[in-house]
Amino acid sequence: MAGPKSSSKSSSASSETSAAIATLWKSYLDETPDRLKFIDAFLSFIVLSGVLQFAYCVLVTNYPFNAFLAGFASSVGQFVLTASLRAQVNPENRSEFKDVSPERAFADFALGSIVLHFFVFNFLG
Amino acid sequence: MILRLSWLLLAATVRAASLSLQSPRFTISASDATQLRSDTLSLTKKPEPLTLGATDTLKLTFQITDNDEGKGVQPHQTFLRFYDKVSGEEGIQPVRVTPGGKAKFELNMARPPTSIPPTTQNPLEVSLILGSFVHAPAKYDLFDIYLPASQTPAEHPDEASFHVLPTIEHTFRPEQKLPPQFISAVFAAAVLSPWVVLIGLWGKVGVRVPHLFSPSIVPFTVLLGGFEVLLVWYWVDLKLGQVLLYGGMLAIPTVFAGKQALYTTGEWRAGQK
Repeated sequence: MAGPKSSSKSSSASSETSAAIATLWKSYLDETPDRLKFIDAFLSFIVLSGVLQFAYCVLVTNYPFNAFLAGFASSVGQFVLTASLRAQVNPENRSEFKDVSPERAFADFALGSIVLHFFVFNFLG
Repeated sequence: MILRLSWLLLAATVRAASLSLQSPRFTISASDATQLRSDTLSLTKKPEPLTLGATDTLKLTFQITDNDEGKGVQPHQTFLRFYDKVSGEEGIQPVRVTPGGKAKFELNMARPPTSIPPTTQNPLEVSLILGSFVHAPAKYDLFDIYLPASQTPAEHPDEASFHVLPTIEHTFRPEQKLPPQFISAVFAAAVLSPWVVLIGLWGKVGVRVPHLFSPSIVPFTVLLGGFEVLLVWYWVDLKLGQVLLYGGMLAIPTVFAGKQALYTTGEWRAGQK
């Protein structure tokens, strides 16, 4: 790709960065399979959810502290499970996960999610 | 055996002897040796109570004799007892008696012996107690004496625990309050907003589930949904034992349905490849 033609160094550095990010984003949109984008949407949802819960706890109150912990832990745990599912299901990782079929990964994900939900509901009170 | 019995009889007869007190006298003198008071003691009537100042000295002399023969004896135990009737405190002072039965006791208030009990404004009753292996014991009430009051003893470090302790006033942390309704509602909406984001993103990605309602998949998804319903029901109503029981019961068909469903999807994926 052609470099930026700006004269000052800092703006060239920042526009290089923004150009790099734009390229990354475009490549992501074009080359990622739909299923992985589906999972990525879910991941961003979980992250957003966790961040907002944490912001509430910091800004307003942590009064039912167990409820905060349960909610935040569910975000974190679900993120971990979904991220591992995405890693195992990704066709480009096939060489690393030879003995784990995508179906097995999904079954693990489902089981892990149910156990996580059980503990979260237990602690939610 | 006969010899031992005869010794016992001899001891019994000897024990019948008794002691008697002869010529008891007391003298109270000041620190510069002037005599303040001096008298003999009568065994039948106590004299006026004696008073001893902080620098005075009391001297007491007497002789102990064997009643029958009038000979001086030295009893095995000779004690002066100082007793405070009001407080119940007492002190015992042994007195040295010569073999001839003569005894002398000196009480110097400038350097009092440790056997004096704690004194108050009340008088101490002084009596003489004699004990002997071969005589009957004897006790003579001699006189009452006012000694200078002693200092109050230091308070024992554990004294407080023998009285009612002050009531403990507990201060509790104030109850935690919920934030105002409006803020609560705003943040509730904020926290649920990611769902909107999720639906939007999924719409953009264009979710395709071609085989969602096929008979090999549906039981699995329905049972997974059933698990989530069970967990919400647990949150609302159930107890731990019940949810574990129902969960276990649900798990068995879920395992079979899952194996079936995932086998089928695996076949599709292999077929597509």
